Amino acid sequence: MSETKASVIGSGLSEKGLKAGSVGLLGAVVIGISTIAPAYTLTAALGPTVSVVGIHLPAIFLIGFIPMILVAFGYRELNNSMPDSGTSFTWASRAFGPWIGWMGGWGLIAATVIVLSNLAAVAVDFFYLLLGQLFNNPELGELRNVLWLNILTTFVFIALACWVSYRGMETTKAVQYILVGFQLLVLGWFAIAAFSQFSSGTAFDATPISPDWFNPFGVNSFSEFAAGVSLSIFVYWGWDTTLTMNEEMKNPKKTPGWAAMVTVVVIVVIYLTVVLATLAYAGVGDTGLGTGNPENQESIFAVLAGPVMGPFAILMSLGILSSSAASLQSTFVSPGRTLLAMGHYRALPRSLGRISPTYKSPSTATITAAVAAGGFYAVTRTVSENALSDTVTALGMMICFYYGITALACVWYFRKTWFESLRSFSFRLLLPLLGGIILLLMFVKTAFDSMDPAYGSGSELGGVGLVFILGIGVLALGAVLMLVMYFRDPDFFRGKVLHQGVEPRHLPVPPA
Amino acid sequence: MRYVVGYAANAQGREALSLAISLARRQHAELELVLVLPQESPFNASYPPASGYQTTLANQAQEWLAEARDAIPDDVKARAHLRFAESEAEALNEAVAEFDASLLVVGAASNGLFKRFTIGSTAGSLLHSAHVPVALAPSGYFRREPITRLSCGIGSRPGADDVLGLALDSAQRQGLPLRLISLLALDQANPTATNSTATERTTMQQAAQDYLAEKLAQARALRAPSSAPVDIVVAHGRSIEQAVDALEWEPGEVLLIGSSRLAQGRSLFIGSTAQRILRALPVPMIVLPRGQ
Repeated sequence: MSETKASVIGSGLSEKGLKAGSVGLLGAVVIGISTIAPAYTLTAALGPTVSVVGIHLPAIFLIGFIPMILVAFGYRELNNSMPDSGTSFTWASRAFGPWIGWMGGWGLIAATVIVLSNLAAVAVDFFYLLLGQLFNNPELGELRNVLWLNILTTFVFIALACWVSYRGMETTKAVQYILVGFQLLVLGWFAIAAFSQFSSGTAFDATPISPDWFNPFGVNSFSEFAAGVSLSIFVYWGWDTTLTMNEEMKNPKKTPGWAAMVTVVVIVVIYLTVVLATLAYAGVGDTGLGTGNPENQESIFAVLAGPVMGPFAILMSLGILSSSAASLQSTFVSPGRTLLAMGHYRALPRSLGRISPTYKSPSTATITAAVAAGGFYAVTRTVSENALSDTVTALGMMICFYYGITALACVWYFRKTWFESLRSFSFRLLLPLLGGIILLLMFVKTAFDSMDPAYGSGSELGGVGLVFILGIGVLALGAVLMLVMYFRDPDFFRGKVLHQGVEPRHLPVPPA
Repeated sequence: MRYVVGYAANAQGREALSLAISLARRQHAELELVLVLPQESPFNASYPPASGYQTTLANQAQEWLAEARDAIPDDVKARAHLRFAESEAEALNEAVAEFDASLLVVGAASNGLFKRFTIGSTAGSLLHSAHVPVALAPSGYFRREPITRLSCGIGSRPGADDVLGLALDSAQRQGLPLRLISLLALDQANPTATNSTATERTTMQQAAQDYLAEKLAQARALRAPSSAPVDIVVAHGRSIEQAVDALEWEPGEVLLIGSSRLAQGRSLFIGSTAQRILRALPVPMIVLPRGQ
């Protein structure tokens, strides 16, 4: 004697429970920028990228954007056609079948888990720096170099972020605006301070800006070029978030596209400004404060903020700490949902598909992601001289891998609709194909190069470069898990749960 | 007669459902189960974006509601609904308005760190904001048999007359015995007096009993004559929890109490007062909002 119906309360809510039409252009841009987390990204990626491409960093940063935008178009097409909690996993499974789909999902999870560990580590670094600056006691800042304390504090940060995400607490609009505004302010301040020191001659290694910096062909070898591009993928990761937010936008036809463009312009301007200022101030030497110095590469602003900004360096610490902490909490959502989807489709144990009845969030999946992130960081930190920069390099590889697969999945899935219109041709064939090929090329090249024990920070394990072990090792671990799952529960792998499919052709409507 | 039940697939939700069934059986009321899912804020900036997640969540919620429906006995009519909202309390209040419900049933227990000191955040919000009576199911409530007696706490706080009137009407309508508990001693107790003599106490109790008997007579005068039995007892104690502890309770009864009673002078948090009472109280509590 009862029926169930799903319904909405109030007005303006879509069926899927998203607040329709509530985000305007400014809000969308803020969301885009906060997803990229520029303060955190720059501090983590600037050092490692300089170590491979030297003074040509600005050029590489500009170029790195190209494959991102190519793939983003493919991502958008797939998201509009098959919105699913499993994103790349689901799309790759539908396009290429269960085996490639599984590896695509694994690549996505690995990328987000590595980012989690990196975010927590950067937050810990700047937490201790902030303590040191607050209490005017540099020794407090040095605590971040104490191995066991660093790992322990990172575990605590990861656990806190996991708890916040598990309980379903969310960042509000006001908090997000403040965080983004503060980040931009602090980065702008740094850039201005660095430039003014440069022009007044107090720069560490004053290097005048020259057109050569913008010349991508000045990079010594293709290996370094590939490594640089792979790192700059990481730098832009997140810009396309607004392209998939149609329902929440006030003007779904126009706002996502405009917001994405404005986000890109703002981000590129910030990146270039800060990068130019950093290079002008510190040069690319490998001694002292130079950006090429391996000791600085873990986290470039940790080293430079003091000399550049003087007593205001505390603002930089605060900016990066808050940016990383906020990003850490929101990044937890992603591996949680991907693991949930894989559990739901029985590609992974079903317990991962559990949703907490109290908090309505993926319970087992979120905790699994936290444990993996913590474990990954502990291993990396113990083994590597320069854990953060190695993980960022491995992360770049992982993003190239899963993003490349996603792009090609788009191309293959829409194969029947390629020539329906110019739009179809561009967004479903040409652009994602180019993007996918470029990214997979970068992935393969970087993978080969990283076998060399001198690659990256020079850390190695058994004669093989650590970056290779982190990147390919994690993928290999995935392949092993995949085989284990196949023997335990083969239905997914036989295509019985998620069927391969193809987007049907649009038939023209016959005239009446 | 419709009751809205704030349901979730956890202990609190099941306790609320049990209480709703016991209440509904006496009244022959219909139940509207409402399960509230969180509405995703776009400013959460999670990446890569997974816009299919809400659908997954909704599917899981449908399964939970189906399980709940299966657990409801045949003599109680029920419908299940899914809602998306930023706050569960807000969604439940809207549901009450939508279904024109006369009662809201929720689980009282909390999941938070301070389980012992506060009730759940939804129940806490509702105590402040609801326009209809709110029934709180205590932790571990699994009884489904109809209610056997109504008890009602009356003192001299604002709204006491309304509470008394409502209790009388409910008891009459449901054919239940009513027990009036005079809380006057609590309201009038002199906080600086430490040792009142036995005679002083007896005098106070007699005064409390008389006061309530007079109130009862006044209320009955305004209503059609009824034969429902009404008892009057006087509560002792320095606080309401002590008073509750000292009284005896039937397993199948519920306590009616006005929301002004919960906002005592000593504590700022209605929720924590409600939790203190609930810890001492072995039966569910129905909180009547002000102005009812």
